[in-house]
Amino acid sequence: MLATLKSLAAPLNSAVVQVEEVAADASVAAAPFVERLDAYLVVSGILFVLGVATILTRRNALYVLMGTELILNAANLNFVAFARFGDYGLDGQLMALVVVMLAAAEMAVALAIVLRIFHDFGSIDLTRTDGLRD
Amino acid sequence: MDFMFLVFAALAVIGGLVMAFHHSIVHSAFALVGALFGIAGLYWTLGADFLGALQLLLYVGGVTVLLLFGVMLTTRDSARISTFRYMLMAPVVGMLAYFMLNTLRGVYAVVSELGVDAAEAAPTTERIGEAFLDPDVFLLPFEVAAVLLLLVLIGAVTVARRGSSDEGAA
Repeated sequence: MLATLKSLAAPLNSAVVQVEEVAADASVAAAPFVERLDAYLVVSGILFVLGVATILTRRNALYVLMGTELILNAANLNFVAFARFGDYGLDGQLMALVVVMLAAAEMAVALAIVLRIFHDFGSIDLTRTDGLRD
Repeated sequence: MDFMFLVFAALAVIGGLVMAFHHSIVHSAFALVGALFGIAGLYWTLGADFLGALQLLLYVGGVTVLLLFGVMLTTRDSARISTFRYMLMAPVVGMLAYFMLNTLRGVYAVVSELGVDAAEAAPTTERIGEAFLDPDVFLLPFEVAAVLLLLVLIGAVTVARRGSSDEGAA
């Protein structure tokens, strides 16, 4: 069982090692920010947390959508940063492009739903759209 | 280059902070524009020129306009907009625009400096296009995306259309 898990995680481990090699490079600490992976990861982490905070603290559906966009962008930044500093070629950027496309599609559908909710409930307060509750 | 990273990172983080904590949804939406622009700049510092441009076109241009339309159509507190504050801010914004026009030369210098590092990573547009049309790489997601966009187009119109649900009020 453990061996199976380890074999499943093997590609992940090699990726982690690769990233650690990038990060543990002695010259990295003195390098400018644009050549440091951790600088981008910090920015991405801050944006992610802000997105989650927006989603959790607001009751307006549009705020939740904005928070979702921020989270998706933080994830995208990670994709591109790892594509730049890891040895993955262009895959990270391609994935980020797909995510951008999905986010645009999600936004269109979500706004249509928000308009529908506003039309049916007279408000987009997420605590009041409880029409499916018993 | 380091300077540009700090500028764009600060733009992204400050935009995110304002979006998360400002009480007005319109201000939050515009702060989101700033944050998305900052992320596009971060893409450029990472050598992802095409992705940064697409971020500007799709997010700053498209998604934000959708979002502002959503705000416009669903928010009812527009009555508390204070005209006085906007008149107070107008000269400030005008001065800012004037100075920005004057510093265009400086902006060009910064962008050309940015271009030097981006040239190291080589333009990615051609390689991205080839990868998306290569059956071994990303052709399947590309086609799935096309179908999904068609579905979204039809679905969004169907959901948002007035009178499409049971009550039939038009």
